[in-house]
Amino acid sequence: MKVSMSNFLIDQKPVLKKLVNILSEKYKYVSVLGTDTKGKMHGVQRTGIDLSDSFWAERGFVIRIHNGANYSEYSFNEIDDSSLSSIVDEIHVKMAKTLENLKEASIEVNSYDLIEETLVKQQFLGEVIALPSTLTSKEKIEKMCFIKDTALGLSDLIVDFRVGYHEVHVSKIFISSRKELEQSYIWSEGHLVSIVRRDGNTKYAHKSFSGLKAVELLDELKASIEDVMDTSIKLLDAKGVTPGEYEVICSPEISGLIAHEAFGHGVEMDMFVKKRAKALEYLGKSVASELVTMHDGAAAAKDMSSYLFDDEGVIGTDTIVIENGILKTGISDMLSALKLGTKPTGNGKRQSYERKAYARMTNTFFTAGKDTLDDMISSIKFGYLLDGTMSGMEDPKNWGIQCMILQGREIKDGKFTGVIVSPVIMTGYVPDVLKSISMLSETVELSGSGACGKGYKELVKVSDGGPYIKAKVRLG
Amino acid sequence: MIEKIKNLIARTSNIDGYKITENKISADELFFVKKALDMHRAKDIHNFDLTIYKNFEEDNIMYTGSSAAKIHPTMSDDEILIVIEDAAFAASFIKNKQYPLVEASDIVQAEITSNFSDKPLNEWLPTLTDALYNSDVCDKGSINSSEIFLNKVYTRVVNSKGVDVSFTTYKGEIEFITNWKEDAEEIELYKHIQFSDMDYDLIDEKVKEMLIISREKAIASPTPALGSCTVLLNGSPVIGLLSYYLAKASAKTVYNGMSSAKIGDNIQGDNAVGDLITITLDPFMKSSTRSSAYDADGFPLKPTTIYTKGILNMYHGDVRHCHYLNIEPTGTISNYIIEGGKCSIDDLKTDCYLEIIAFSDFQMDTLTGDFAGEIRLGWYFDGTSTIPVTGGSISGNIKEVQKSMYLSKELQKDNNFVGPKVIKLLNVSVAGID
Repeated sequence: MKVSMSNFLIDQKPVLKKLVNILSEKYKYVSVLGTDTKGKMHGVQRTGIDLSDSFWAERGFVIRIHNGANYSEYSFNEIDDSSLSSIVDEIHVKMAKTLENLKEASIEVNSYDLIEETLVKQQFLGEVIALPSTLTSKEKIEKMCFIKDTALGLSDLIVDFRVGYHEVHVSKIFISSRKELEQSYIWSEGHLVSIVRRDGNTKYAHKSFSGLKAVELLDELKASIEDVMDTSIKLLDAKGVTPGEYEVICSPEISGLIAHEAFGHGVEMDMFVKKRAKALEYLGKSVASELVTMHDGAAAAKDMSSYLFDDEGVIGTDTIVIENGILKTGISDMLSALKLGTKPTGNGKRQSYERKAYARMTNTFFTAGKDTLDDMISSIKFGYLLDGTMSGMEDPKNWGIQCMILQGREIKDGKFTGVIVSPVIMTGYVPDVLKSISMLSETVELSGSGACGKGYKELVKVSDGGPYIKAKVRLG
Repeated sequence: MIEKIKNLIARTSNIDGYKITENKISADELFFVKKALDMHRAKDIHNFDLTIYKNFEEDNIMYTGSSAAKIHPTMSDDEILIVIEDAAFAASFIKNKQYPLVEASDIVQAEITSNFSDKPLNEWLPTLTDALYNSDVCDKGSINSSEIFLNKVYTRVVNSKGVDVSFTTYKGEIEFITNWKEDAEEIELYKHIQFSDMDYDLIDEKVKEMLIISREKAIASPTPALGSCTVLLNGSPVIGLLSYYLAKASAKTVYNGMSSAKIGDNIQGDNAVGDLITITLDPFMKSSTRSSAYDADGFPLKPTTIYTKGILNMYHGDVRHCHYLNIEPTGTISNYIIEGGKCSIDDLKTDCYLEIIAFSDFQMDTLTGDFAGEIRLGWYFDGTSTIPVTGGSISGNIKEVQKSMYLSKELQKDNNFVGPKVIKLLNVSVAGID
């Protein structure tokens, strides 16, 4: 079913165009991004139920102007014909005065060229199998309670079984003197968390689900109840890993985590501008095994970060970041591209209309190889199959990598031993990890629950993934 | 707008209560590359959050259902009415055990003050910038880039039980990256600080400290594969580790069965031989962005000691979860003070140890007690000499190390935390680089 565009944003178009026209009399570049995002978070656990608006729900605007030297932005969420003059005054008077005061305090100001835009008018409306409104909130909660109650009845070791379902309907418009863009799409994500306890030892396992979907996701959750519960119970007998270097097979989820943390953040080109990215020195050079090709882009896959245009009004693309082990290029927002003299790739994303746009990942993944998972497991003398993302952290300057992983399933002489280690911290030097990739399976899987931060803030939705990969990494 | 929302709520039947939270945020933001201003942003945002409550009975059990939704100032009356009706419908089947809403109180709360109120936000920007770059004068190292945020936040909480409280807070935030280059490749470190008062020296000191440790990282050797050793956490990681005790004493965590901590028990075990923790929650902590005289429900807050020498005195939490546990509510307080230990930092540095001041991302799992992190900078003392080290990771479980855990006498202040600067843990697993 087609997703419908926000009526509110459509209704605001005339006043936004008027605002752009007024500001254009003084400034050589003016654009406005409008957002109207609706969504609900549903949570069910043993002791209660939560239902609230999504973290991503918002309705507001951000204006960008070229102030004569560089770009200034003003975010606001109250607008009508009568308030236009106060918005214009905020930019004309107050923000201009602030800039003047900073210059008077001998603060140097970077200069940026004008954004050159081509004439474009486009609309994108996403599609889902069943719209969120297909089920009432009561029916959704009932389905989730059924999942929770089913799981709680399966084992006395379970102290809680949490079910989360989150649906979000994004609508955005972008207006400048030469651009008029609209998009509306729906994504959803869900999770199951099984918490078990034995003799005071508490462990949990989780599984996430996501996609450009709506209520159909609830059926996917239902199908994984036993899998998640089994994993959590096995973790009660998990050991700590003996620190050291191991041959490992990474599940598609962990492959995605590596793609994301190891190289995704490292090729965000605002990092090139700040000279914070080691990748800048390696363009055109080998950074990974010849088997490795990595993509990023809103148009590279149909997943959590697929859109027509980014938060700076740039049409999304498909960027080949690494091709056969060679670092080809980075991903960029509009202003970084202006500074670097490159073409923007449609990766300028904001946490919300209230925040700055940065170069951010979209759908980031390694492409498939030709190996079977069975052959990969058989090839391991002593190592682990790693699965379950907990967290990750980038280090674009010095190419360190930290991935917190839920579990490693021990493999000896090509066979699972039944031993599980948990939790596992994987660290290493990015090129060492990527150059050690020796096998890749045939199917790519992407996922995108949770959120990606830049440092410790600026959360955005992304997806990442890949095939199963075999590599050599340090575990602790 | 609040009156409008209240009037529209009055048109909806079958509602037993409501809470409306108004937030008016104005902010100025500066983004620098090196010392040059790359972008200036400003914002004026006005938001309302609505929660609708509905009491109902099913199978002889009383429930208080609730549903929360955002109301945007650009919503028409019809749109707001739909939001209210949807929330009311949802509240009617959300089966949460019955609890009372916060009642209006006669308690007169002290006001949280800030010197940022002395003049308009944008007039603080040159001072904040000057404080940030004052010590950026080294030859081999500098601030690579930075972001400055200054927010003024007006909050009003109104509910159907007569609560109507309002207050204004300031939230300052600076993120900066430092670089340093010696003979090997240039390195970088990340720092994020938050404050609610203009304190030039605090910002300046943080920059000096980061430049010093950046210099150390630039000459650091790979962390040796130590197996198991004594670890000293220094600075921010201490806060992450000790957050475990707050979670264990949370009424919500206890009610949900995620904590089995009992009042009167020693959280570190009866045979603990190290320092025992004493934790006080202080809603009025100076220069904390989390200070507030009232919690999100409008409940008036006061300082509360939850642990004394390891003994759990009381759980802490909102009215709902404290009601479930049949205890006096403390309200949600986000600032905490942890008393220092008996030894100085120098006294803690005995025998061989690995002292870690910066992780890529120190992770503390408050449910399982597991902790881990990749080392960005530490110092390894092998019994005779000390060298800076980087790379590798540590991992462990607080339940295994808390019996012999030692807190420094010296304290640190980091936004909403006052507590030991250093914590010493024995027998922690270290994955070094062979």
